[in-house]
Amino acid sequence: MATHGLRAANGYLAVVGALLIWLALLGPVLTLLGHLSWHAITSTLSAPGALDPLVISAESGTMTLAVLLLLGTPLAWALARGVLPWPRLWEAGVLASLLLPPLVIGLLLAFMVGPYTFVGGLLAHLHLSATNTMLALVIAQVYESAPYYVLGAQAAFAGVDYRLEEQASLLGDRPARVLRRVTVPLAAPGLAMALAVAWARAMGAFGAVVIVAYYPTGLPLQIWTSLQATGLTSALPYALVLLLVALPLPLAAYTWSARARSRRRG
Amino acid sequence: MATMGVTRRRAMGTRATSGTMMRAAAVLAVLALAGCGGSNSSTASKPSGTANVAYAGSLTYLNTKIFGPAFTTATGYSYQGIGAGSDALSQEIAAGSIHPNIFQSVGADPIVALTPKFTTWYVRYAATSIVLAYNPSSKYASQLAAIGSGKKPIADLFTLLRQPGFKLGRTDPNLDPQGRSFILMLELAAMQYRFPLSDVNKILGVPAGAANLATAHSTQIFEETALDARLQAGQLDAASAYRSQAIQLHLHYITLPATINLGDFTMKDQYAKATLTLAGGVVKSGKPIVLNVTVVGKTDQAAANAFVAYLLSPSGRRLYSQGGYTLLTPTAFGTMSAIPASIRKELG
Repeated sequence: MATHGLRAANGYLAVVGALLIWLALLGPVLTLLGHLSWHAITSTLSAPGALDPLVISAESGTMTLAVLLLLGTPLAWALARGVLPWPRLWEAGVLASLLLPPLVIGLLLAFMVGPYTFVGGLLAHLHLSATNTMLALVIAQVYESAPYYVLGAQAAFAGVDYRLEEQASLLGDRPARVLRRVTVPLAAPGLAMALAVAWARAMGAFGAVVIVAYYPTGLPLQIWTSLQATGLTSALPYALVLLLVALPLPLAAYTWSARARSRRRG
Repeated sequence: MATMGVTRRRAMGTRATSGTMMRAAAVLAVLALAGCGGSNSSTASKPSGTANVAYAGSLTYLNTKIFGPAFTTATGYSYQGIGAGSDALSQEIAAGSIHPNIFQSVGADPIVALTPKFTTWYVRYAATSIVLAYNPSSKYASQLAAIGSGKKPIADLFTLLRQPGFKLGRTDPNLDPQGRSFILMLELAAMQYRFPLSDVNKILGVPAGAANLATAHSTQIFEETALDARLQAGQLDAASAYRSQAIQLHLHYITLPATINLGDFTMKDQYAKATLTLAGGVVKSGKPIVLNVTVVGKTDQAAANAFVAYLLSPSGRRLYSQGGYTLLTPTAFGTMSAIPASIRKELG
């Protein structure tokens, strides 16, 4: 009886604890909503060209995801399957880019892809530039979001039972078909989550972006320049736009992947 | 991230984990409480209190490396600072998102915007000028050096700057007084050296037809810190800079004539001939680049007053002189009676 009561009390405490942490995490968002007035939102967002940053962010975010899918997925798969020599070294590389403050990444990118560098020279031959261009913005976002995607996708691939892949091979499927019919579908919920996190990271990328791509102006930079030019009132509506635009995709991926997982377990 | 799903499932089930969660929640609550009160806690040194300075971004090096430590040694008060564009700081102080007790601004407008709620006076104490900092390994470096040393006329500089391949960097005129001053300097140069205003567009990398030089997009614009970093990384041929910055960061630079460099207080009528319309429609005319200081807010007034008094004292002024600033006789503006006595006695 006493144990039962204790267990119930513990359950309540767990919920209260979870609620406290949730509220603390949500604090900034709640504050944001508390400080926004309808008038500020409409007057800020109805100015001519006010929604350009939204378009820029959506475009660059989509390009960033495409790059991550194309280049990050094979790396994540190779890391998960242990087909690379010195796996710790590869992982350390991914972690290092996660560890570096985005601002530092931005400064290092300026050294790496600036106009008077080897890469910058190559780009110039192609009439491209990675300084204050859409390309620069995408590069900065890729660096800020790639580690999140690669580590998440690696975990997703690692969660796929390799015996299922072996059985498919034994039954005569070629590796490409095994990948398409077995590995990717089984890893899909995890991959979707990883991509969702990377998307959120890319949309909110600021530290590296402010150094290499002051122009074109996406949402995070717009928040910052509005804050500096005209103050908090005109900056906060953009924060709301960023939340509204960046949140649905990860939320949908989260819901879908949770459902897919529970279906598989059940 | 990698183990997110696993951890979550485990957390739902076991009692051990819920205990951990409780502890985490308690720690979080304590942190939140600590965050509410503790930011201005004083140190144990004899005069207690902190000079909490909001300063123009161009003062970052001087304040953090030289002036702040020297002030603490001289007076015993603690020093804390935040650097950003003067306009931005003014906005943040007005919005209550930062709570400094001293504000050092480039130009007086950012301080005047805070009157009478936060302050009713300010003191003008130093000046600097616009220079052109350059990259010593640029392919244009020898030409730039020749102009800098006077072997070639300064007019050649403006011809060089509009070469199609020349990579110039500057800051956002809508956010940063330096970005504005640089454009105003070019307008003054166009008048003095008689080159057409369309060449100013070319130099600034904005479309030939763009009437508004501040709002036209240009790939030359960088965040202030990024600009210096880029120049030092050798990724620009030249960049706008304050003379003080160029000296503190040991940059190569070209001094511009006083008639255009916005650094000479006696030429303010000449400077006012150049104007620039900002994104919000505000028109700014050329003004000498001066530093102003005031006390804002009510926290640690003794420390704040001591900071300003030290700034205007001979030892404080020496540090500014070494930092590449031109010293001006400290001159007060606004409500004189509101100026604390300890500061008033340092005025010229």
